[in-house]
Amino acid sequence: MVNGFIILFGLTMLYLAATSRIIAHIRVLIVQGFLLFLICMSGSEHMNWLNIAFLTIETLVVKSIVIPAFLYRVLRKTHSNRDVAANIPHFYCLVIASIILLAGFLLSNYYISSIKLISPMFFGVSAATIVISLWLITIKHKIISNVIEFITMENGIFLLSLSVAKEMPMLVNMGVLLDVFIAVYILGLFVNEINKEFNDLEVSHLSDLKDYEYND
Amino acid sequence: MINILLIFPIIACVLVLLVKNKTFDTWIVNLYAVMHLVISSMLALGYGKNNFTPYFEIDGTNALFLLVLSVVFLMVTIYNNGYIKTFDFSPNKISRYSFMILIFVLSMTGTLLSTDLGLAWILIEATTLSSAYLIYFNKTKHSIEAAWKYVFICSIGIALAFVGIILLNISTGSVNTLNFAELYKFAPTFDDGWLKIAFVFMLFGFGAKMGLAPGHFWLPDAHAEAPSPISALLSAALLNSAFLVIVRVFKIVEIAGCDEYPRFMLLLMGFISLFVTAVFVYHIKNYKRMLAYSSIENMGILAIGTALGGIGYFAVVLHLIGHSLAKASFFLTAGNILELYGTKRVKSVNGVINADGKTGWLWVLSCLGICAFPTSVLFISEFLIVKVLITQHHYLLCGLFVLLLTIILYGISRVVVKTAFGNVSEDKIKSIESNKKKITMCMYIPQFIMLAIVFCLGVYVPSFLNEIISAAIVGF
Repeated sequence: MVNGFIILFGLTMLYLAATSRIIAHIRVLIVQGFLLFLICMSGSEHMNWLNIAFLTIETLVVKSIVIPAFLYRVLRKTHSNRDVAANIPHFYCLVIASIILLAGFLLSNYYISSIKLISPMFFGVSAATIVISLWLITIKHKIISNVIEFITMENGIFLLSLSVAKEMPMLVNMGVLLDVFIAVYILGLFVNEINKEFNDLEVSHLSDLKDYEYND
Repeated sequence: MINILLIFPIIACVLVLLVKNKTFDTWIVNLYAVMHLVISSMLALGYGKNNFTPYFEIDGTNALFLLVLSVVFLMVTIYNNGYIKTFDFSPNKISRYSFMILIFVLSMTGTLLSTDLGLAWILIEATTLSSAYLIYFNKTKHSIEAAWKYVFICSIGIALAFVGIILLNISTGSVNTLNFAELYKFAPTFDDGWLKIAFVFMLFGFGAKMGLAPGHFWLPDAHAEAPSPISALLSAALLNSAFLVIVRVFKIVEIAGCDEYPRFMLLLMGFISLFVTAVFVYHIKNYKRMLAYSSIENMGILAIGTALGGIGYFAVVLHLIGHSLAKASFFLTAGNILELYGTKRVKSVNGVINADGKTGWLWVLSCLGICAFPTSVLFISEFLIVKVLITQHHYLLCGLFVLLLTIILYGISRVVVKTAFGNVSEDKIKSIESNKKKITMCMYIPQFIMLAIVFCLGVYVPSFLNEIISAAIVGF
């Protein structure tokens, strides 16, 4: 059951790589948040109620409601619906993302199966998610897409922390939640400000600060 | 004592938000700065160490870092008293400025004092978020670009550092803790392979925050676009906080007995930082960016010193003190020049000494301080690192180290000589004369004090400071 959810989580990353509408990306975030909730709950027999309550808030409330709603508002304000990755066609994006995902599965099964502490499935998908997100950040042209990929990377890291059989200390979890929340909030604010200042959300506008031919 | 350091700014922040008065804001930031220095001096000398929470504690190493932070913060605050008068912003905005400075210093203090890796990680992220506003304070196109890059790159770096923490958690086996003391205690039982990977992630993550190449891209932009007192705080205090976390993690690896590879990584990143600085400083067009690159260089030297070990640790501690003070002074003086000339372009600045003698000579002295001209304390630290490189038979690296430092020295002094000497062009004399009135005495004094300390420490280290430094080295 859990493995099914994890595979679905991995597939959402492929969907993210293959689509260009930002509203679809935000929907992917909602799905990912929900899948993370299901993954947490499948292993909840060993947890105390405080942990369960906390994880529910983190995954269901913050990751699949608050953050997507906030991004949706930003999107509506800034009127940027599509992010076309001009350099790499979507088909190749999909192929590359699939290769990364496959590599994640193979490597983790090959190397990690001997260690009992972590499950290879979790590890492979989360490592692949982090790598795919970082790679997508480098090829996307819209600032808001970068924020979305930042969040999918955080989701990947969250999955990685679930892959460790023992629990991370509660304090750390709370801190992570707070950080993600504030970071996204601040990044969202900046998206707004950049939109106001530049009338557009292209990353290429943010390349004025250089070491040569400097104007101020 | 530690509690006061951490609780006072929170109360102060609430008051600043409620009162919204320029004089009150200035007053409360000054009070916190003085209190910070008094308390951290007492802590460093061994008074008032007891504390009600186990999450924040003082030991030999962070006592020194805290002391450096206090001195820099007090000096920056004194400068800020004059600087804030040059603002023509609304009282609301100035309140937010003071508010964010308080939060920024609070999070740095928290990072230094935290006894838990997870907590240190959270507080490092808090420094990013609080300083992002300060970098964006001028609200220009350039400052928003710089702030965006800063938040984005540092957030990704910090996220990768968190991956490192998770991997460290895997390597600890049955031990489930992130407390530094316990990690040190159980380190010999950790799994070597996972520990090494964890270190690489954390080095890259916290290294991005510290300004080590190749995660340094945010640094020149952010330092150049932030208001000068903030640049000084970023360069002289924030980078050190991230460095302390790396030092703590490095110690875990060292105790675990697999420090060969991490040392190599530190050495590599240190030399890449030196190389990047040498390449960019050689033809630099913007003097604030030059100072930012110089910070990357000095962080590289700290990484190299840590990698070498032995006397290298002593050199690192000396270098840290010297760099923080000299660089803060350099940035504050750059703030004066920016105020006088209204531009950061090296091309448009000429004859600072003629325009304003005090600023000009401070500019030259700061340059001598940062370029390790004897009797600057940086001379001793860099000399010691060269010595360690030779005694450990790294002759090639030693040659490279000296070569890169020479190129950087040339790059920086070329700009300083070009800007400091010569005559002011006719068309600028009037505007400079009127701008000069804005620069008050408190925008000169802090630099003089810091440079005096830097140049005195090169000849004489008082015994109490010697004890603090020796205690700090134990934590490496």
